[in-house]
Amino acid sequence: MYAYDDFDTQLVAERVAQFRGQVARRISGELSEDEFKPLRLQNGLYLQLHAYMLRVAIPYGTVSSTQMRQLGVIARRFDRGWGHFTTRQNIQFNWIKLEQAPDALAVLAEVGLHANQTSGNCIRNTTSDQFAGVAADEIEDPRVWCEIIRQWSTFHPEFAFLPRKFKIAVTGSPNDRAAVRVHDIGLRMVKNAQDEVGFEVIVGGGMGRTPIIGKTLRKFLPKQHLLSYLEAALRVYNRYGRRDNIYKARIKILVQELGIEAYRREVEEEWAAIKDGDLRLPAEAIAQIAAHFAPPHYPERPTRPAAFLEALRGNIDFARWHARNVAKHKQPGYAIVTISLKSEGQPPGDATAEQMDAVADLAERFSLGEIRVTHEQNLVLPHVAVADLPEVWRGLAAHGLASANIGLISDIIACPGLDYCALANARSIPLAQSIALRFNNWQRAERIGELKIKISGCINACGHHHVGHIGILGVDKAGQEFYQLTLGGSASDDAALGDLLGPSLDTEATVDAVDTLVETYLSLRQPEERFLDTYRRVGLAPFKEKVYAAH
Amino acid sequence: MAKAPKLVSNPQIVTANDLASGDVVYLTKVNSWTRAIEQAAIAPSLEHSAALLAEAEAQARRNIVVAPYAVPVTLETGNPLPVQFRERIRAAGPTAGIGAGPGE
Amino acid sequence: MPLIKNGEVVPEDWGYLSDEAPLPSTGAVFVSLARWQAERDTLRGRNQPIGVVLPNDADPKAIADDLPHLSAIALVFPKYTDGRAYSQARLLRERYGFSGQLRATGNVLRDQLLFMHRSGFDAYEIARPDAAEVFRAALAEMTLFHQPTGDGRATILQQRLARRLDNRSAA
Repeated sequence: MYAYDDFDTQLVAERVAQFRGQVARRISGELSEDEFKPLRLQNGLYLQLHAYMLRVAIPYGTVSSTQMRQLGVIARRFDRGWGHFTTRQNIQFNWIKLEQAPDALAVLAEVGLHANQTSGNCIRNTTSDQFAGVAADEIEDPRVWCEIIRQWSTFHPEFAFLPRKFKIAVTGSPNDRAAVRVHDIGLRMVKNAQDEVGFEVIVGGGMGRTPIIGKTLRKFLPKQHLLSYLEAALRVYNRYGRRDNIYKARIKILVQELGIEAYRREVEEEWAAIKDGDLRLPAEAIAQIAAHFAPPHYPERPTRPAAFLEALRGNIDFARWHARNVAKHKQPGYAIVTISLKSEGQPPGDATAEQMDAVADLAERFSLGEIRVTHEQNLVLPHVAVADLPEVWRGLAAHGLASANIGLISDIIACPGLDYCALANARSIPLAQSIALRFNNWQRAERIGELKIKISGCINACGHHHVGHIGILGVDKAGQEFYQLTLGGSASDDAALGDLLGPSLDTEATVDAVDTLVETYLSLRQPEERFLDTYRRVGLAPFKEKVYAAH
Repeated sequence: MAKAPKLVSNPQIVTANDLASGDVVYLTKVNSWTRAIEQAAIAPSLEHSAALLAEAEAQARRNIVVAPYAVPVTLETGNPLPVQFRERIRAAGPTAGIGAGPGE
Repeated sequence: MPLIKNGEVVPEDWGYLSDEAPLPSTGAVFVSLARWQAERDTLRGRNQPIGVVLPNDADPKAIADDLPHLSAIALVFPKYTDGRAYSQARLLRERYGFSGQLRATGNVLRDQLLFMHRSGFDAYEIARPDAAEVFRAALAEMTLFHQPTGDGRATILQQRLARRLDNRSAA
């Protein structure tokens, strides 16, 4: 894992002091709200429906046991005892007081955490594959590059006031778990004909009001040029991106209006002028960062230990959890455990301070002190010995963290919605709970198989509804909560935007509609087909007919 | 944000967030701020809420509260109850999950 | 309005000339980009300092060939949240080698001064009486920087690599 050196520590400490000064000047009245708002946003502090909300970055989703415990400290000392893991590998605390925010940031800084650039019109937290460094299908660990991007983008003086926010994601694996095609810039690690590793650069993807799948800007970018290329791409955006209309200010609109060829010409011309300058990464600099992500030492452990096999045979709950939540590790004798934050009745992504502590303890004992946060709002223990799986499972179950539903219909992504968010039109959490309750029979859920439901409470699409196999968007219809359904979206390497099913439905009808969609799929599917596959084969019509025939 | 009808004929109260704590607050008859909606000053209609709103905006300029606005309410139960769903949640706290209810 | 250079309030010795006003025979003046482009030959021949106000949607390339004749360029922040002038400043300094006065004008606030300084500005119109104090305080808030911007500050990466070199030679 990346460990701060004295430079990182000092930089974050200076930032906390700077923000403390800004808060003091706001409270004293020296700064107006208009002047202060972008400053607090660049430190992740929003004013939400009920209170200030603090969004803390979990860079590329990697967090240590010590850091996870400290998140629990924030929850207890400065909030109401829990936090919400988001779709961008951040954690949000919903009830932070402005006057205490600098103290909370100082507590985070003690363990190398911060809220830098988790909001505002700047380069946001760079996200990545939650299985980075342990996935069997990986070309290289993408976190090395996320960290290099994190450092370059931190307080970048030229890009602190971009036309709009800017999100970068990196995947090191051909199986995209980082949704790189729906980011402002997505980076895919690829090999060229000479077997050298570099990046495919994808630009202009995004969700929100105008969902667009990103386009390839460059098929192969040698590693040492990553930062100069990003700087060129950002500079073109900063100069030419629209600032007259907030809804047309993202880079996707610039790329759409210029056309990818014209945007590419601008970037390549800019890049030619800077590529061999100070941003060119010396091999030693890359090596220095890469050393932080060197594979840990894995003590040799049995690949098929007797107690584990016994538990698989003898305990149906364990076996089910193992089949659903445990993935293949590149190291023999080890496994990757996904911890579901979607237990029945819980808001997707929420964890209490006690749960954070429990996960931290388990990670310390069984996962080399390391935890990952996924964009699907779950947690991961990345290095668990197969022999330890039964004990890890028991430890998780004791804290309500052993739901065996990863990838199933109840593993729902949901934004905070109108229960918390000042922008929302409708609630997301109660709908997610109702759907989870409707499908709480695990045999049925297993029979349905992989089905990704994603719920957003408004068009800003924090719940990624455009790329849900079933996407649900909350709308306001004459003061009532209604929901629009889309089908066939995907955030993966086969990225696609969902198609609108039909007129919006009220809450109860939405839950019924999901049920109908599922039953329709079950009646139409061919062996081994996921919901998405069936949908792609048969199209919208049979689903639409069934749902609206009933109404 | 919910684009509800203007509800100009409904009684109105004025809400904001306390600057330092962020708490949801309502303007009272004596131009102070309360966390209890039942203590909010009530204007009989949107037209009559101008004075309350002007006072609230003046206090925003003095850095006591942030982002004040008028909220249409009904008085059927005796106490002001927001008409819009969003404002009911804002007054009563989240409806679901760990944080349901008004909290502290 | 206080003008800050080198961390101090200095006397304003530049005027902004409107497009209709006749060119004064003495004194440093800023003209608009449009006027500069229309009257370039006359203005280049002036033996008094001349500057251009570059709107933030203009390409610095448009005046790249004129830079030897310009003593100052004013870049505009119509609102402090409009960050285009940061890119213009870096291009003028780092790409086109402008070494004259680079002035920040418009909505120039304390909390953006360090970004401006890092991007190559060296003169700031700050509309507050304590301009010098806030300028010095703003620049002192951070001492470590990641990005190479041509402002002369060593980046953290450069410092890390130098330290490794030191350690190696000490070993």
